Formats: sequence, C-alpha cells, structure tokens
Amino acid sequence: MQDEDDNPGIRREIRSKYRELIQSVQQNREDMLSPSNNKLTEVLEEANKLFKDVRQSREAALDAQLLVVTSDLGKEKASQLAAEGAAFDPTAFTEHLLSYMGLNRLNDGEDEQPIGDAIGYLPPDAWHKVAQRAESCFRAAPSFHYMMGSFHAEPPPPKQRMERQRKAPGKEVKRIMPTQLKKMGGSHQEATEKEVERILGYLKTYYQDDPTSPISYYEFVIDPKSFSRTVENIFHMSFLIRDGLARMYYDNYKLPCIAPVEEGEVEAGGSSIRKQCIVSISPKQWKELIEGYDIRVTMIDPSNMQPE
Amino acid sequence: MTQRKRTSNTQSSSQSKRTSGPAATQEEDDDQTFTQPSTTQVQRGLEKLTPAQVDQKTAEVVQFFLVKDQKKIPVRRADLVKHVVKEYRNIYPEIMKRAARIFDQVFGLKMIEIDAKNHMYILINKLETVEGASPITNPTNPKTGLLFVILSVIFMKGGVVGENLIWKTLKNLKVDVGEKHEEFGDVKKVVTDEFVRQRYLEYTRIPHTEPIEHEFHWGQRAEVEVSKSKILAFMGELHEQDPQSWSQQYQEAHSSTQPSTSSQK
Repeated sequence: MQDEDDNPGIRREIRSKYRELIQSVQQNREDMLSPSNNKLTEVLEEANKLFKDVRQSREAALDAQLLVVTSDLGKEKASQLAAEGAAFDPTAFTEHLLSYMGLNRLNDGEDEQPIGDAIGYLPPDAWHKVAQRAESCFRAAPSFHYMMGSFHAEPPPPKQRMERQRKAPGKEVKRIMPTQLKKMGGSHQEATEKEVERILGYLKTYYQDDPTSPISYYEFVIDPKSFSRTVENIFHMSFLIRDGLARMYYDNYKLPCIAPVEEGEVEAGGSSIRKQCIVSISPKQWKELIEGYDIRVTMIDPSNMQPE
Repeated sequence: MTQRKRTSNTQSSSQSKRTSGPAATQEEDDDQTFTQPSTTQVQRGLEKLTPAQVDQKTAEVVQFFLVKDQKKIPVRRADLVKHVVKEYRNIYPEIMKRAARIFDQVFGLKMIEIDAKNHMYILINKLETVEGASPITNPTNPKTGLLFVILSVIFMKGGVVGENLIWKTLKNLKVDVGEKHEEFGDVKKVVTDEFVRQRYLEYTRIPHTEPIEHEFHWGQRAEVEVSKSKILAFMGELHEQDPQSWSQQYQEAHSSTQPSTSSQK
C-alpha cells in the first residue's frame, strides 16, 4: 500500500489521466452538451474511478478542476432542456428564412442538396426584405438628419505638419545628431515602429529561453555604454506596454519586471486593469542602476540604423 | 461640491426608469464630480436665469440627443453635462424634465434611462410602427435584418445563446463570420462591437472555457425597443405555426413586463 501511495510513476499516471479528461471536456464541448448522448456522465464516472486512487494534493487539485469544468457544462446542459412547448430548431428557421428572402435554389434534379454554398444564391435585396419586415418589430426612433446635409468640413491639414509633431518626443534623445534627423523626415515614424518590433523580438527571445526566470525591467532597458540609448529603449518599451504586447509586474523583491503577453491573454480594450505611469531617468540614476544591477553588457543590441 | 447626501425623493424625475438611489459618491466617480442637485438648488438656479436662457439650453440638449441618436449609441450623462449643460448643471433635472417633454410632445419620442447605474439614455419611438402608414418609405438598413435574426434566435432559445450557435445560424444564411460579407463587411465586428455598443446585444464571456467562448443576451436597448410578441408573430408566419405553440416564449412575450403592451403608458 505504501509503495502505491508514493510511487511517482503511478501518481503521474493519475494526474495525466485527469488532464486528459479535462482536455476532452473542454475540446469536445458541443458534443458533451448534446442531449443525444451521455458523454458527460461517462466523464464523471471515469473521474469517480480515478478519484479512488487519489492520495496527494496535486491530484486532488486536478480533480477539483475537472469538477469545475464539468459542473459548468452540466449547468449549461440543464438550461438547454426545453420544458414545455414546441421546440425551436434554428436550422429549420434558417431554411424558412432563406425561402422568405427569395433564395433561388439550384435545381439540377439532384436529390441531395447539401447545406452550404451549393444550395443556391440570394437575390441582392434579400437582407433588405428581412429588414423591412423586421423594422415593424422595433420601436426605434427615426434617425434625425439635417435636410440639407451637414456642413462641408475643412480638408485635414497637410501631412507635413503631422510628421513634424511626431519628431518632438524623440528630439531630446537625438539631440546629438540633429542634421541627420532632418534628412530622415517622414520615415521617422517607421523607424520607431521597426525599433519597437525589434525590441519585442528580444523580449520574446529572452523570455522563451527561460520562461520561469523573470526579466528585470532595468536590466533589459539599460545600455551601460550609452545613456541616450537607454532612454530610447525605455521609450520604445512604453509602446509595447501601451499596445498590450508586454506587461510589467513586480517580483518578490518589489522590483519591476517585464514579460511578453501571450496571444489571447489580454482582450483588446478589455476589462484588464490599466495603469499609467511616467518613467524618468537621469544620468545619475542610470549610473546608480548600472552599479546596483552590475550591468556590463546591454541586453538590446543597438540597431545599425542609429548613427553614432 | 460640498453637499449633504440626500435620497433622491427630493429630485423631480420624469424619466420612467430612474431608480431612487443616493445622490452621492457613486455618481461622482462616474460623472466627474457631478452630483444631482436638490430641488431647492434647482429652484434657486432657475431664479437666476431668464426663461429664454433655460429654453435655449434645453434646445441644445434636445439637439445633442438627436444627433447622437443617429448612430444609436446611448448618451452618457457625463458627456451631456460636460459638453452641453456645462454651467447650467445646477438646474440639470429641470432641463432634463423639459427635454423629455419636448421629445414626447414634439417628436413623439421617449427618452429612457436604460442604465440607471452609469446614467445612459436612449431615444425610442412612442408610437408603434404601423405598416404602410407613411407614404415615405425610408431606405431600410440591412443590418436591421441581421440584428433581427440574432435577436430572434436568442429569444426563441430562452434568452441566452452560445456564440457558436449564432455563427452557425448566420453561416446557413450565407453570412460567414470568417469572410468579408458583401453587405455587412466585417460581420464579427458589426455583431460583437457595433450592436453591443448600441446596446442591442450583450456579448459576455463564459467562465472556464478554453478556448474562450462567449454568449449573447438581449441588450438593454433591445429590451425596451423590440417587441417580442411581434417577433413571435413573424416566427409563426415563417414556420406556418400558431405562435401559441411556443408556449414558453408566448408567455414571456405577453407578460406584463413587456414594454409594448397597451397597459403601459
């Protein structure tokens, strides 16, 4: 008995079986929801069997996770039960609606007519027809529009002005070489975007090399050989955070760290908490940080676009 | 604004759905330090202004609403106060009362607060649409048809539907979410962004789903603007069935909570 409880091989097996069950529930969701089978019950019975062998908290945690996932599904399945009254079949609905819209079916004399592109084509005013019938179900306020239209707006200011404004944030950093900047002109914005992407690349590489080890923000942005490049790195880094491609957090020592954001981790414009802050750095602080973190080499190679 | 917290039974309220709540910090958070003035404050404020000034301000509010309504996006009280009412905010309730009356009597529209917590308003029609009543037929917006299909499915399915069912239904109607549609363009954007912002639909995440899935509900605007009984009637026509055969939906469509029943004003 003792051996079974501690045998890591058996423990692993149990955990892996749990994970399989969880995955099968998540990935076959629609199948599990269908009232025509008992797959959900089967999963629960399987879980019950596994549970008899659970001895350690890791396995129990997986069991709990499985319970959460299956009970969510169970709740949904229950809410789908049609009580009394006729059932509503969305497929029949669309069939009827297509006829209403005036679908021109392709009658080739074939018996089988699969649903999909082969079924025919809709006349151009099909959706207007539905809209007309639908409008009577709405009590929408009629939209108010000026009879003579609205006033003619001025054309937007010529493009040069916009580009000149964009140069301002970078001005402080590139003060060393003003003449070269003027020549770059309109491509300045592209250069910034390219640089931001390049930095994202570095961040992702470092993160992938060791996902468990946090990347210190300061170690990442500081170039011990150049204060101006350090400021540029901070500037470009802020774009990544603003766009939700990277995130900043505190580690156990309350020091700022950064990590790239996984795809799908953050919904665009979603409910995630957004904070704003202003980062500043002086040459003195820069030197102190280099000493404190013992930074010898920059993590972000200077791009060869930058004239030195 | 240093103001004692008061319960809102001192406020004159003409909007049908304003729930009584404390005129206090919750609104400050939402409305950039706008706190609902009391009736005595409103009275004092009115005394200092000429009737012409108050009428002018009311007219501006009405116009603001009408233009905002073009896109069917709800009007936020914070925007109204910031951009239109401005220094007249101490008589805000009076202005709103007069604006509501103008909408009612001049335009035949109802100004409704669809979100009492965040103070958002929409305009809906007071009158039922009667087919063929107007010789002028406005060009129909095909998006209304699209929205109608989605609302119908949600209603017939009991009020909530997983997004996959909606995408599947639309696909049967040759509206493929993955492709650009001739009439609707980026269908997913129209459905999950435009219709949601207009408050016709609600698109919420289902917890614990991997990959992330969402479900649809009727939005706050749909609840007051759309007639369930008329949708059911159309269903009956399409399926050549008696609407009463869908007994649950029929019951819901004709319950006393529905806005379109004649028992309501």
